[in-house]
Amino acid sequence: MTAQIAFAAANGIVLGMAVFLVAAGLTLVFGILKVFNFAHGSFFMIGAYIAHAITGQDPSSLPYFLFAAFVAALAVGAMGIATDTLVLRRLSSVANDYTLIATFAILLLCDGATKMVFGQDIYAVYPPAVLDQTMDVGILLTYYSVFIVACGIIVFVLLELGLNRLWFGKLVQTVARDPWMAGVIGLRVQRLKLVSVGVSFALAGLAGGLLVANQSLSLSLGHSYLLLAFNSVIVGGLGSIRGAFVAALIFGLFESFNSLLLPSMPGTVSYMVLIAVILLKPEGLFPERT
Amino acid sequence: MNGSSFMRPAVILLFVAALAAAPFAVNQGLLFLIGIAMLQAMFALSWNLMFRYAGLASFGHAMFYGIGGYAVAAIIFHGFPLPFLLAILLSTAIGAVVAFVVALIVLQRAAGIQLAVLTLALSQLVLLFVSYTDFLGRDDGLSGLARPVLDFGFFTLDLRSPTAFYYFIMVAFALVTAGLLWFVSGRFGRVLLAVRIDSERAAFLGVDVRRKRIFVFTLAGAIASFAGALAAPWAQIISTDSMSWFNSAQPMLATLLGGAGSYWGPVIGAFGLILVNYFTRTFVGLSEFMVGGILLFVVLLAPSGIAGFFEMLRRMRNRTRTASAREHNQ
Repeated sequence: MTAQIAFAAANGIVLGMAVFLVAAGLTLVFGILKVFNFAHGSFFMIGAYIAHAITGQDPSSLPYFLFAAFVAALAVGAMGIATDTLVLRRLSSVANDYTLIATFAILLLCDGATKMVFGQDIYAVYPPAVLDQTMDVGILLTYYSVFIVACGIIVFVLLELGLNRLWFGKLVQTVARDPWMAGVIGLRVQRLKLVSVGVSFALAGLAGGLLVANQSLSLSLGHSYLLLAFNSVIVGGLGSIRGAFVAALIFGLFESFNSLLLPSMPGTVSYMVLIAVILLKPEGLFPERT
Repeated sequence: MNGSSFMRPAVILLFVAALAAAPFAVNQGLLFLIGIAMLQAMFALSWNLMFRYAGLASFGHAMFYGIGGYAVAAIIFHGFPLPFLLAILLSTAIGAVVAFVVALIVLQRAAGIQLAVLTLALSQLVLLFVSYTDFLGRDDGLSGLARPVLDFGFFTLDLRSPTAFYYFIMVAFALVTAGLLWFVSGRFGRVLLAVRIDSERAAFLGVDVRRKRIFVFTLAGAIASFAGALAAPWAQIISTDSMSWFNSAQPMLATLLGGAGSYWGPVIGAFGLILVNYFTRTFVGLSEFMVGGILLFVVLLAPSGIAGFFEMLRRMRNRTRTASAREHNQ
C-alpha cells in the first residue's frame, strides 16, 4: 500500500508540473492583459504538433528534442504576437464577455487549422533515448517524468525571478497594474505588453514541445490539459504564478489519488475542489495584491 | 415612420412560411439539419435570455440541454410507460429543478470569470457523472431511440414520420419563441433589463435582484432542457457530447453571430451556424475554421451581430432620408 501511495504521489507531482507548464502562460497572459485565454490549450497543442513535425516519432537525442521544443516556443510566440495585435488589443475597450468569446473563436480557428494542416491521425512520440529509461527508488520512475518535474520547477523559478526581481519583470508589472500611468512616465506600454504576451504564448508552445512525449498526440490534446490548467489558474488566483504552481500541484495530487482511491470516477474530485474553492475563496489562494 | 414596423412581421412571416414549406422542398438530410437549427435556436434564445436580460454569461449551459436529452432518452430507451408529451414535460421540469439548484449555488458569486468557470466546472462534473453511469450508457450514450407515436384518443400523431416530427418541432419552436418574446417585452423583461444595466440601482428601487436572476437562470435552464428533450428523439441518439463545453459554446456563438442586443439575434445566428456547417461539411476542420473566423470577424467589426448590422443599415437609411427631407424644407 505504501508503494502505491508513493507511486500515486509521484504521479501526482508529475501531472501537477505538466499542468503548471500549461497554466504558466495562461496566468501570465491574464496578469498582463486581464484576458482569460480560452485558446491557450490550442496553442499548446499547436506547439506539440510543431515539435512532432520536427523530431518525428523518435527524437534522436535530448538536445534535438529540446531544440524542437524551442522552435515550437518561437513559432507559437510569434502567433501570440499576431493574436495580440490583430485581435486582443482591439478588444481592450469592449466588455469582458466579448473578449472571452473572441478567444473562444480563436480556439475554434486554431483547432480547425490544426485539423486541416496536420490531419486527424493520432501520433505517438517517444522521449529521446536518454530519458526513456526507468530508475528504481523504491518505486519505478521514468527519467522523462523526472525531466518534466525539473522543467516545471525551472520555468517556475525563472518566471518568479524574472517577474519579481528583474527590471523587465518590474516594468511588465507596472504596465499591468496601471497602463495609463505607465504611459505617462514614458514606458512603451503597447510594446511591453506585446513582448510579454509573446513570452506567455511561447510558454504554451514550449510546454507543447516538452510534454509531447507524455501521451499520444491528437486533436483532443489541447482540451485535456486546458481544463486542468484553467482550474489551477482560477484556484491559484488569476495572474499569480506562485498560485498557479501550488494549485497545479494540488490538482495533480488530487487527480492522482482520485484514480487510486476512487477508481470508478476519475476526474471528479478536482472539479469538486474547484467548485468549493470558488465558492469559499473566489479570489483564489494567492490573490493579486492591489 | 420607419420601415421596420411592417418589415419585421413580413420577414417573420416569410421565415415561418419557408420553415413550413421545407419538408416539400429539401431532402431528408437537410430537413434534419433545419430541425436541429430550430432546436439550437431555442437553446440559444434561452442562453441569451440570461445574457441579455440578467447579464449572466454561463459557460456550462449545455448541461441543461444534455439533462433534458438524457431524461427523455432514458425514458424511451428503458421503455418507461410514460406518454411522450409527459416525458418531455418531466425532462423540462428536471432541467428546471437542476437549474434552480445550480442558480442557488452559482449566483452566490455572480462575477464574470468566476461565474464562467463555475458553470463550466459544474457542467463538466455532471458530464463526468453521466459518463460513469451504466443506466445512461456511460461514454457511449443511448442510441437507437425510437421516435414515439402520440395517441390523443380521437386521433394519433405518428412522429415516426420525419415530416410529422419536423412540424412537431416547428410548433414547439414557435410556441417557445412567441412565449419568450411576450415574456421579455412585458413588465418583467423591463425590470430584468434594469437589473442588467445597473443592478445596484435596481436593488435600490426595490427590485430583488438575486431572486430575479435565479428566476431567469431557472427559466433558461428549463427551455434548454426542453430543446434537448426534443433533440434526443429527433437525432435518435444522445451522448455526453450534448453536455460538453463545446456544445455550451454553441448558443454563445449563435447569439454573438446573430447579435446579442436583439431578441431575434440568437435565432439568426443558430441558422447561420447550421448553414456554415452544412456548406463546409465535406472538408475536415474547415467548418470550425470558418465558424471561428466568422465569429472573430463579427466580434471585431460588428459586435452587435447580423441583427445589429441590419439595424445600423436601417438607421443610416433613415438618417439620409430625414436629411434630404430637411433640405427640401429649406
